[in-house]
This record gives sequence, structure tokens and C-alpha cells, in this order.
Amino acid sequence: MRIRFSIRFLSLAACTLCMALLSGCATRTLGTPNPNDPLEASNRAVFELNDAVDRAVFKPVAQAYAFAVPQPVRSCIHNIFLNLGDVWSWFNSTLQGRQVDALNTFGRVLLNSTMGLGGCLDLASQTGAKRIPNDFGVTLGVWGLDSGPYLVLPIIGSSTLRDGAGRGVDIYVNQFGYGSLITNIDLRNSLYGLEAVERREALLELTDTIDRTALDRYSFIRDAYLKRRSAQIAGSAAQAEKPPSYEDDAPAPAAEKAPNMAPNK
Amino acid sequence: MKSRICFLSRLLALCLLFGVNHFSHAQSAPDPNAAPNDFVQQVADQVLVALKADASVRAGNTTRVNQLVDDLILPNVNFEKTTRLAAGRYWRQATPEQQAALVKAFRGTLGRAYSGAFTRVDDATNVKVFPLRGDADATDVVVKSQVTQRANTQPIALDYRLEKTSQGWKIYDLNVENIWLIENYRNQFAQQISQNGIDGLIQALNQRAQQ
Repeated sequence: MRIRFSIRFLSLAACTLCMALLSGCATRTLGTPNPNDPLEASNRAVFELNDAVDRAVFKPVAQAYAFAVPQPVRSCIHNIFLNLGDVWSWFNSTLQGRQVDALNTFGRVLLNSTMGLGGCLDLASQTGAKRIPNDFGVTLGVWGLDSGPYLVLPIIGSSTLRDGAGRGVDIYVNQFGYGSLITNIDLRNSLYGLEAVERREALLELTDTIDRTALDRYSFIRDAYLKRRSAQIAGSAAQAEKPPSYEDDAPAPAAEKAPNMAPNK
Repeated sequence: MKSRICFLSRLLALCLLFGVNHFSHAQSAPDPNAAPNDFVQQVADQVLVALKADASVRAGNTTRVNQLVDDLILPNVNFEKTTRLAAGRYWRQATPEQQAALVKAFRGTLGRAYSGAFTRVDDATNVKVFPLRGDADATDVVVKSQVTQRANTQPIALDYRLEKTSQGWKIYDLNVENIWLIENYRNQFAQQISQNGIDGLIQALNQRAQQ
């Protein structure tokens, strides 16, 4: 039964892959190229592919999960996974030499794991302590490694060359650190599956908003991702950062003048 | 006789409806000349009170959402400035008609963003505005706030950027979890304009509205 299910799943995945590749050919680079995104054309193709897989598999499964499991239970599961992730965040804050962040995260894990019933209740957030999400990509950035070009990875999504390498380390730790603690393979794989579904479910509202408001979802997500990563790397220094300056007093270069400027009447 | 009673009761219902509405609006009209953080708290509270009282807005009823945005949010926002900054240097290349059309089209996008956000409001939703930091005499300030929702979920960081005008404070930009609205739209606007011109951008925004 399980084999038949996985074959069906594979053929579905293969089918969406074909469709996505076909539609990927039709995509083209839009407008002004972004200096952080020299691989935009191929990134867009992978983006389309991920989108097709998401629409066919991940999003419906996440919606079914949201429908079937009551909100308090979902919050609990969400928080337990976040709490496990905080251990890795704490380690990364330490590696980055951000001792205050590390101490805060350590206290948060301690509180949530005990009084918060194994992370189910996020008591630390309720007392006003903000979670400091961290991973090895941020650590590499803090150590001075440049982000390299923006990359859209299959299934994983937004990344950069540096963050992709960091993600490799994150996944390795997740698999062989936490994963090896669970000897029952079925249970372990079920938990990986639950984590994936739960992660997508937590993003449903966000992706709906992007679908509803973005003019170009690709560049919306790319710009938001790069912005967020640089804020994470800047750390608490970003809090004091000045808001962006929008004033553009330089006259528009004639060569870049947009077509169709005259009214169409 | 029957029709007369009917008419009277309808009138009464209308009066009630209007009266209640009038009251709830008059009760907590934000004061744009207050300190910017107090002003933002007043605007947020007013919107939250209206949302909690109206299930149809929370369910995403487009007409009601737009009405609420028009009544309670836009009077406190300099949306022309938001659009102008999002268009960047292309703004001056546009004719006044195009500028007006662009503001109108972008307003539609804003309505859709809000209708999505409003569906998440429940009785536990609360906006906590933090005290103002930095120069007290500044005419361009950032007010930080935190949106808390139902129990045991992560709070959302929401910052507002305000400008002091002759009519008091006006909001013109928003920051959700480190991402500024204008900054993010700037790129998308530039993409569209460099490809299809201002009219193309207006068309694209209006097309999104029909989806």
C-alpha cells in the first residue's frame, strides 16, 4: 500500500515537474536586472517549478492540516518545532559572538522546555522576549562571507550561494543531530513529514497575502528575502538603522526613459 | 396602516444604524496633532474596535473592507506620498492624470492587502505601540508597534513611518517584519514601468484587482 502510494506520489511529482519545466521556458527576465540576482532567468524557472509543486502538493496538504487540526494543537506543534530550532539558533548566536542573543535564546529554551511543557507553550514570547531566529547562513554572513548571487533552490526556495551552504549545515545538524536521537525510522520520518507540513501551514496566510498583493511575486519574495537576511546579519544593529531614504532627486537618465510615457488619449 | 408601521420601523432601524455608526466614529477619532505614537495607537485602536464589531469585514467582504479603509485608515494616511515614493523617479515623468490613476490603482492593492490582514483579526488581537525613540522635534518619524494575536502565537512587528504635515501627522509607509512597503513595491513598479510604461503599471495594478 505504501509503495503504491509513493509511486503515485512520484508520478504526480514528475507530472508537475514536466508542466513546470514547460511553463518555465516561457518565463523571461523582467525589466531592470537586480545586481544581487544575476541568475534571474534560471531562478525564475525554478521558482515556477516550486510554485507548481506547491500548488499541487504542499499547499493542499497544509490546508487539509489546518482544516483537520484545531488551532491550539497546531500552535503547540508549531512551538515545539520552533523550540527545537532555538537550540540551533542559540549555538549560532554563540558562534557569531553575540553573547546577549545567545543568553536570551538559552533562557527562552530553558523556560519553554520546562514551564512551557517541552516548547508547546511559548511562554518566552508572552513575557515579551522576541525570538531571535538564527541559522548557519547568518553565521557565515556575520563571519564576513558575502552572500553571493541569489538562488532559488528546488523545494527549499529562496536562498543565496552562502545561505545554501549554510542550509546544508542546518539540514545536516537537523538530520544527524536531532534525527539520530530517534531510532524508530517510521516515527522519525513521520516527524520530518509533520515538520514540513507544519512549516507550510504556518506560511499559508503570508503566501495568500503575497498572491493577493504582489505585482510580481518573484521579485517581491526575492527582495523581501534579501532584506530580511541582511537585517538578520546586521542583528540588533539593524534596530537602530535609519529607515530607507526614498528621495530621488537625480533626474531620470534619458536612456532609461520608460516607453509609453505620453497618455494614450 | 401596515405600510406606515413598516416605514417607521425602517426609519428607526436606519436611525439606529446611522446613530450607532456615528457614535462609534465620533467616540475615538484620532488626533493627528497628538504625539506620533499616541496618534498611531488611536488609529490602530479605532480600526480594531470597528473590526471586532463587524464580522463581515473579518470575513473579507470587499465592499465593507473598502468602506472601512476609506473611513478609518485613508484619512490618516498620505497615500499620494506613498504612491509617489513607490514610483520613485518615474513619478515626475507621469502626467497629472496618470499620477491620479496610479494612486487610485495602488489604493486597490492596499485594499486587498488589508482585507487579507483583517481576516486574521479576532477578539484577542491587540496592537501595542512602543514609546517614541529619538529626536522629539523630528518631522519624519518611525513608530514601532507589536501586533499580538490569539494565545500562544508569535507577535508580529509592525512599524509605521509618519510625516508631520500642516494637518498633523500622516502615515505614509509601513514595515512588516523588516520589510518596508514602499521599498518593496519600488522595485516591482520600476520593473513594470520600464517594460510597459506608467499606463502599463496602472493596467497591471487594475488587472490584479479583478482577479
